[in-house]
Amino acid sequence: MKKTLISLSVTATLLANTAMAQDADAVAFRDAFLAGTATWEDVQARAAEEGAVNLYYWGGSDPINIWMDRVVTPDLAELGVTLNPVRITGTKDAIDLVLAEMGSGRGLGEGSVDAIWLNGENFATLQRQDALFGSFAGMLPNSGNVEWNEEDPRSLLNLRDFGVETNQAEMPWSGEQYVCATNTNRLASEDVPHTFAELLTYLQENPGKFTYVKPPHYVGNTFVQAAVYAHNPDGTGAEPFQSSIEDMGAEELARLIAPGLEYLKELDPYLLGAQSGNALYAEDNAALDGMFLNGEVDIACKFGLYAVATGLNNGTYPEGAEAFVFPEGNMIKNKNYLAIPANAPNPAATLIMVDYMTSVQAQVTKLQFTGMPPGVDPWTLTDEEVQALTDASPGLIGVTQAELDANTAPDTNASLVDVIEATWLEYIERDSTDSIDVIVARAVENLAQ
Amino acid sequence: MARRQMKSALNTRLSSFQKIYLLLIAGFILGPFIPLIIQSFAFRWAWPDMLPSTWWLEQRDRSILPLAWDYVLSPYSRVWEATLNTVFIGTVVTAICLAICLPAARVLAREKFKGKAAFEFFLSMPLIVPEAAIGISLLMIFIKLGLAGSYLGIIIVHLIPTIPYMIRMLTAVYQGLGRDFEEQAMILGASKWQVMRLVTLPMLLPGVVAGALFTFLVSTNIFLLTFFMGQGQIITLPTLLFSKIAGGTLDASAAGITLVVTIPGIILLLITERFIKEEAFGKGFGN
Repeated sequence: MKKTLISLSVTATLLANTAMAQDADAVAFRDAFLAGTATWEDVQARAAEEGAVNLYYWGGSDPINIWMDRVVTPDLAELGVTLNPVRITGTKDAIDLVLAEMGSGRGLGEGSVDAIWLNGENFATLQRQDALFGSFAGMLPNSGNVEWNEEDPRSLLNLRDFGVETNQAEMPWSGEQYVCATNTNRLASEDVPHTFAELLTYLQENPGKFTYVKPPHYVGNTFVQAAVYAHNPDGTGAEPFQSSIEDMGAEELARLIAPGLEYLKELDPYLLGAQSGNALYAEDNAALDGMFLNGEVDIACKFGLYAVATGLNNGTYPEGAEAFVFPEGNMIKNKNYLAIPANAPNPAATLIMVDYMTSVQAQVTKLQFTGMPPGVDPWTLTDEEVQALTDASPGLIGVTQAELDANTAPDTNASLVDVIEATWLEYIERDSTDSIDVIVARAVENLAQ
Repeated sequence: MARRQMKSALNTRLSSFQKIYLLLIAGFILGPFIPLIIQSFAFRWAWPDMLPSTWWLEQRDRSILPLAWDYVLSPYSRVWEATLNTVFIGTVVTAICLAICLPAARVLAREKFKGKAAFEFFLSMPLIVPEAAIGISLLMIFIKLGLAGSYLGIIIVHLIPTIPYMIRMLTAVYQGLGRDFEEQAMILGASKWQVMRLVTLPMLLPGVVAGALFTFLVSTNIFLLTFFMGQGQIITLPTLLFSKIAGGTLDASAAGITLVVTIPGIILLLITERFIKEEAFGKGFGN
C-alpha cells in the first residue's frame, strides 16, 4: 500500500509540469478574500452557489463519524452549506489525491478535496508542493478564538505545526498532548515510572510489559522525540529541536540525539516480545489500545488528553486505567488542523465550514461526543464559553490539568522528524552497526535528494 | 424430518474418516464466524476472558452514542449506503460484462483466425498484472477525463478483472455446446432470432448464470480499484470494511459490519445453488 502511494506521488510530480487549468471566478474570489476586500456576506453569497463541501478526515473512529453526521452536517445545513464528510483510512491518501489532481492540471475550483484534517508531515508536504489555498485562517469571523499574536508564547502551536510555520494556511481544530496510561490493577502507584530511567528499571524487573507505536507512525515518532528531549546532552530539552535541519546541520543533530537513541537501544531488549526474539511494536493507536486492554503491556502512550475517560466509556480501555505524568517535563503537546488545498472545488462554502468548526459551539459538541480536546485557546474566550468547554470534557483521570501544563514540551521541527525517524529505523529496527553520526549524515543526504 | 434423513444419509454413506474430515472443513469455514458474532455483542472483551466481561446491552443505556449493533444499523455506519452501492455496481458490471463477453466467447469458441492464441493470452493479461499497477495508471487518466470519483469510473475498472473470467467461462460453455442443435433448428425453418432465443440461450443458461454470479461476486469484493476510483467518495462494502478494520483491531461495530458484508455473498451462493441445480440444469439439458 505504501509503495503504491509513493509511486502515485512520483507520478504526480512527473505530471506536475502540465499546464494548470483554473476556474477564473474561483481565483478572483480567492484573491479578493485573501486580500481582505471580500466581506463575509460575499463569502456567504458565493457559498450558496457552490456545491457540497468535501471534508476528508480519518474515519476510523465511530464517535467522530457519529458527531459529523449527527451534529456537524445539520448545523452546517442551517448555515446554508451542505457537508459531504469523506471518511478515509489514512490522511496521506487525501494528500496524494490533491497532488495527483494538481498534477493532472486541476486547479482551484476543479479539484475534489475541499478540506483535510491533518498536521505535521502532511501539512509540510502540501506546503512544499505549493498546494495550499492561502493564509485564510486569520480572516475568518471566529479566528478571534485562536491566539495569533506572535509575542504571546502561547501562540506557538497556532503558528507552528511540527516546527513548520503554518502561515495561517490551516486552522487549529484540536489540541492534543502525549499522555501515558497504566492499568492500576496491574501496576501499583509506587511502581509507576515518571522518567525514562525509572521506565528502564521497571522493565528490567518486569521484562516485556511495555512497547511503543512503531515509527514512522507519528505516535511512535513522538515517543522517540520525548526520549531524545529527555537525554539532550546540553540539558536544554526540546529547545534546539525547533529549528530546521538546514539551520542545525547533520553533525549537531547527531550529537543532540545520540544519547536518546542509545537509551532506546538499551530499552529494546526489555520491550514486549523481545525476550523470545525481536521486540514487537504496535502498528498504530488501535493496536496499542488492544495490547493494553489485553494486559500484554502495562503502559500505553499516545496522543490522548482524555483517552482514559473516552476509552473507559467505549470499552477500549481496561477498568482501572489511569493517566500519569511521563516523561517529566517532556509531555509533547501539539495541535491538529483543518487545511484547504489549493484546488478546492468549493472554497467559499469551505471557509464557512472551517469557521463553524472554530466556533465554541462546535468545539463543545466535538469534545462531548468524541473526547477530542478543543483547538481554540481558552484565554481568548469568555468565562461562559470556558465553562461550557469544561462541562463538556469527559475529564482527566489520574492526572490534573496543572500537572499536564507543568510538563509540556513542543513538537519537533518536521524536517528533523524525518531524520530522527530514519535514524531510528536504521539504528534500532535494522540494528545497524554504523555510528549515529554516520547514520544521521546519510539520512540527511538521502532526504535532501 | 429432513434432518433425520440427512443424518441417516450421513451414517450410511460416509466412513468415519470422511465424517471427521467433513467436520474439520465445516469448522474451518464456520469457526471464524463464532468469535466475530460474540465480538459484535461485546462491550469490553479482553484476554484471557473466554467471553466478554461486559456486554454491549449492559452499557447500551449509559452511552450517549450508539454502540455495537446500534451503530452498525444506524445511518452513521453507512452500511446501507455501501450495500446499495455494492449491489448496484455489481449488477451493472455483470450486465455489461455479459453483453461484451457473450459475442466474444462465441467467436473465440467457434471461429479460427490468425493470432487467436495470442489474442486469448492477451485477454488474460489483466489477471496477471497487479491490480495496484492498473489502478494507479488508470487513476491518472481517469482524473483527466473527469471519471474519477464517479460510478461510471468504478464500473469501468470493475470490468477489467471480471471480463477475463467471464470470457473464459463462456468460451468453455460454447465449446461444449456444439453447433448441431442450432443447425437442426435452422433446417427446421427457425429464423436466426428464434434459434438464439429458443435454442442457444436456454442451452447456454447454466454457464451464463454461473458466470454472471461469479462476476457479481468478484465485483462486490474488489477493494483496491474501487478505493482508487471512488476516491473515498463512493463507498462499497469492501472499502467500508477496510476503513473500519485498518486500525488493526476488531471492535464490536467492526465485527458487526464484517458480518453484514458477508450477507450478499451468502444470499447469492444460495440462489446459485438452487438455480443451477434445479432450474438451469433441469431445463437446459433435459433431453
